[in-house]
Amino acid sequence: MPQLNSVYRHREFQDLLTLSGYERAGGWNGLKATLEMSPDDALYAFHRSGLRGRGGAGFPMGRKASFLPKDSGRPTYVVCNADESEPGTFKDREILDNNPFQLVEGVAIASYGVGCERAYIYVRGEYGHQWDVLLRAIAECRATGRLGPDAFGPGAPFDITLYRGAGAYICGEETALLESLEGKRGQPRLKPPYPAVAGLYDCPTLINNVETLAALPPIMHRGADWYAALGPEKSPGTKIFSVSGHVLKPGNYEIVMGETTLRDLIFDLAGGLRDGREFKACWPGGSSVPVLTAEHLDTPLDYESLAGAGSFLGSGGCIVMDDSGCIVRASWRLAHFYRHESCGKCTPCREGTGWLEKILGRMVHGEGRLEDLAMLESLFGRISGRTLCALADGAVAPVQSALELFRDDFERVIEQGGSPVPEPMGVINA
Amino acid sequence: MTAHEISEFLAPIRHEFADQRSLILPALRFAQEEQGWLPQEAMAAVAEATGYSQAYVESVASFYDRLYTEPVGRRVISVCTTLSCMLRGSDELLAHVAANIGTDGEGTSADGMFTLQRAECLGACDRAPCLQVDSGDQQGPLTHDDADAIIGALRADGAPTRYDR
Repeated sequence: MPQLNSVYRHREFQDLLTLSGYERAGGWNGLKATLEMSPDDALYAFHRSGLRGRGGAGFPMGRKASFLPKDSGRPTYVVCNADESEPGTFKDREILDNNPFQLVEGVAIASYGVGCERAYIYVRGEYGHQWDVLLRAIAECRATGRLGPDAFGPGAPFDITLYRGAGAYICGEETALLESLEGKRGQPRLKPPYPAVAGLYDCPTLINNVETLAALPPIMHRGADWYAALGPEKSPGTKIFSVSGHVLKPGNYEIVMGETTLRDLIFDLAGGLRDGREFKACWPGGSSVPVLTAEHLDTPLDYESLAGAGSFLGSGGCIVMDDSGCIVRASWRLAHFYRHESCGKCTPCREGTGWLEKILGRMVHGEGRLEDLAMLESLFGRISGRTLCALADGAVAPVQSALELFRDDFERVIEQGGSPVPEPMGVINA
Repeated sequence: MTAHEISEFLAPIRHEFADQRSLILPALRFAQEEQGWLPQEAMAAVAEATGYSQAYVESVASFYDRLYTEPVGRRVISVCTTLSCMLRGSDELLAHVAANIGTDGEGTSADGMFTLQRAECLGACDRAPCLQVDSGDQQGPLTHDDADAIIGALRADGAPTRYDR
């Protein structure tokens, strides 16, 4: 079960918070190799690497970059989505905390490929420390000419602007992020047009997640073929999984796609469960994906295998619950999250997420009725797929799957008159 | 915070945005640093410095959780209560913090020192249960004694010189 720290270079090398430290660890070799190619060859390398978007949707990064028109006559932008807020996901935080220059280098590589002279990194408002780390990294790059008027060679400018959000999960949705970056309320746009054609300031825009962009420097240094050969053909490369909840060693684990199973991730890398506890459920790709049961533990961790098991790889935020937890209470807590974070633009989401929370809440608090199960089921199709963005689908997926896979638990909670608060796992001083 | 001070803050970054409307969010964040929230005068100053109407500026500010349009305590304590943290005792941590600072759940303490709020996933599930003071480090995993120690240290520190929320 190979771990491979390709994005997490800070786990292999010391002192990556300074530019000189990053250079000693092989930093900038990826950009150097990229600048020796034509932009089209760089785009082709992104494509051949097979790298897919690590923010949640898994769309091939090279294809996305190839959608940007080259003859629009307008500036082209690259926007890095550092608005990490998906429940259970904290992988980008570790990159920002410890390896900021690799992200800067990745943003530069992508920008060279699509012909962008100014890129933006949109950082989650709550990430104050991470913001400070990035500020220092950008300042050092500007002071040394890594960013500025000659960043890509004499007379070839490139710079990065940092932009800080202010607390809104929805701003991780790419078009809501663009709205926010344009100084508006962060509400998603109707698509099409997609950001590749009309993104920031209506200009061609490539938006990628932190992990996606930070994956580029090693790809360009070691070669797209090296990356494409890691893991399965359709899901190549390394992926960081954040494991949390009822495990003994919560944390981030960067693994080669397809070579590790969900069981290995939870029971080996993340230390497994407490003595005497049984596995109950996990949400393998953040909270917006269908829940999985013990039956699915032997699923390899890659996009296709997790989809085949009925869930999604998503952001790689794997939330684990043992048999001390209650699936109804967990579903209610997630429904609360989506109700709180719904931006209110689309009625099915604004109203529907409220009803999901309300119905699950009364079950948890002993006021549920068996008819509520049918009412829940009637809601799913009236919320999912009827909105501008995927937040509503993400709100329904964990609840709908929980009801399908754990119907007995829902019925028992209703019949027993609620779900008592379980003893939480608490702090393990390992 | 005056419009002039905000304009001076924006001057070095104005050229980085093709549309000046993008300056509203940085201006709001900067304006909030002074008092820790955004009174009407601060909104008016942001409006003047950016050239947008106060009504528009307020419509933007009201969208974001970490821009406060009502007064809050000198320190805002956010306890993450989303699923991973819930499984590790966040609800109990929240109740404990509330008891310590004397609020009934979420709210502001009588002495105005603390505002306690539930946060949605703070991106620190590996540190569950965790809390964040303003937008400082996500601290955890925390026992109730750890939380008491953090609150005690905050009481001793008093108010910060600038608020980063």
